[in-house]
Amino acid sequence: MDRAIEKILATIWLPFDGLEVLIAEYLPGQRVAALAAFGLYALIILAGGLMAIGSRNLVRAMLGLVLTFFGVAGMYLLLASPFLAFMQVLIYVGAVCVLIFFAIMLTRNTSEGEESRLPGPGTAIYGLLAFALPLAVLVPLIVRHAPKLQETAYGQTETRLLGQGLITGDVFSFELISIILLVAMAGAVFLAWRRPEPAAGAAGRGPAER
Amino acid sequence: MNTLTLFLLASLLLLAIGLAGLVTRRTLVGMLISVELMLNGAGLAIVAAAKCTPASEVHGQLAARFVMGLAAAEATLVLAMILVVQRRFGKVTLDEVSSIRAPGTGRPH
Repeated sequence: MDRAIEKILATIWLPFDGLEVLIAEYLPGQRVAALAAFGLYALIILAGGLMAIGSRNLVRAMLGLVLTFFGVAGMYLLLASPFLAFMQVLIYVGAVCVLIFFAIMLTRNTSEGEESRLPGPGTAIYGLLAFALPLAVLVPLIVRHAPKLQETAYGQTETRLLGQGLITGDVFSFELISIILLVAMAGAVFLAWRRPEPAAGAAGRGPAER
Repeated sequence: MNTLTLFLLASLLLLAIGLAGLVTRRTLVGMLISVELMLNGAGLAIVAAAKCTPASEVHGQLAARFVMGLAAAEATLVLAMILVVQRRFGKVTLDEVSSIRAPGTGRPH
């Protein structure tokens, strides 16, 4: 463990200038505090993730997902990116979770649905493999090939720079995501559009014909 | 073991959990939840790597925002697909959906 976490904490433990100065002056154990915050967020992510994939009730699974989103937002705060943390809460908790909730409710798949049965032994083994294989392959890689960190201090990312990037260098990604969202919205409306019932003569062909 | 390693391990945890959920879930909604977990891990890895190394942190954060937009678009489309599958099959389990075939080769139900 190096001084990087201490640097992170010194700048962003709370993204407000006044409190930051207060903590810097009165809290010598900053590194410990940052590590504790990291551990707390990691614990939140782990608990929420296990709840999201393990719960037999899909509404509970979605609540676990919300917990994970908040944990990741906390990680973004620790990374001195408060605007991104805010976006995480806004987009994921605000929009994506509402979509998932709609999906759960529209399929009436809450407590007595298909998910209420436990997965069979074969599926459980596959699940364990899917959990263990990425860890087994990537953990040694990540730990062994840790890159050299930058020496400068970790300043809080200025939102102004992000906006400038969006309209100058990264304008293409901005336009691209706009088009993707538009196309996704149009495609979703097209898919979910309920066609008018076919006339009596064509009734035998059924909806599979479309 | 440095800061970046810690954050990368956290995002790797999200990837592993999401992958396990993707395999074990039986309905499309559960799989959608698992995919969102994995996308979160991707965003976290991108931001941490951009922040802790000399790479441009603005680019990293914009890429994470791109991932967020993709996740929103993907959730929208999957919701529409779930609606279609629900309307056609009555439920959204994978066993049902695996019997989808091209129109004209037989009604799926």
